[in-house]
Amino acid sequence: MSLVAIYILMILAIVAAIFALESKNLMVSVISLIVMNFFVWGVLLTYGALIIAWIQLIVYGGGFTALFIVVVALTEKQRDETFELWKTILAVVAVVVIVGLLIFAVTQSGITNIVGDVSDPSEIFTILWRDRTTDVILQGVLFFVASVAIGTLFLQHNRKKTKEEIKA
Amino acid sequence: MIEQLHLLILAIILFGVGLYATLGKRNVIKILMGIEIMTISINVAFIALGTDIANGTFKEFTQIFPLISLAVGAAVIAVGLAIVINNYRHTKGVDSDEMSTLKR
Repeated sequence: MSLVAIYILMILAIVAAIFALESKNLMVSVISLIVMNFFVWGVLLTYGALIIAWIQLIVYGGGFTALFIVVVALTEKQRDETFELWKTILAVVAVVVIVGLLIFAVTQSGITNIVGDVSDPSEIFTILWRDRTTDVILQGVLFFVASVAIGTLFLQHNRKKTKEEIKA
Repeated sequence: MIEQLHLLILAIILFGVGLYATLGKRNVIKILMGIEIMTISINVAFIALGTDIANGTFKEFTQIFPLISLAVGAAVIAVGLAIVINNYRHTKGVDSDEMSTLKR
């Protein structure tokens, strides 16, 4: 059961990463990046890497999201319409070849080490309370709310500005 | 039963996704997102390779390397985003082909 949950977390992290890159709306991309960070956070927690899981969530999921939102709002290009078929096909082929070779190499290396001190994902919450990480959770939530609020304010400001310009 | 192999495969696939963004996208913000995803995947690989082979436990010390990687990645993306904004002021676009005008 725990293995299935971890597989689901991993697959969702990969899907969120792909969605972040393929979404036309840049704000949706940034939000997908936050979601991917949350899934990677869950995976790292199940492996017992508490410190790096939290720091990654705060720095990448919180701080950088705020930076990305500010940049997307400042550049006023909220949609990514650029698409080149040949470039995309070449990139996909190159990535598939590299990833295939790497996965083949890793699976053939005979690594069978078992890691992690959490056998059941429900134990994550027990660990969170035991290690007094609730304040860190609150910091993460605060970063998330602040980043979304800043982005929304910028967007609203820009929309008002453009409406006033159209009226004028 | 959580195996080291699963985490390594996750790291490889995430690295591939980030590499796809850097190779196949023209929007600089997407390229920076790809670089961020690649940094995250490297951190995951660091964690996966930090297992103690002798008794199968996780070494706390291995989290130091991802911390350094995180700090460097933070600086890289901050500088990258600053360059994006600077470039946007000149060219009014976020296309990577227009980055050659930065030297003006």
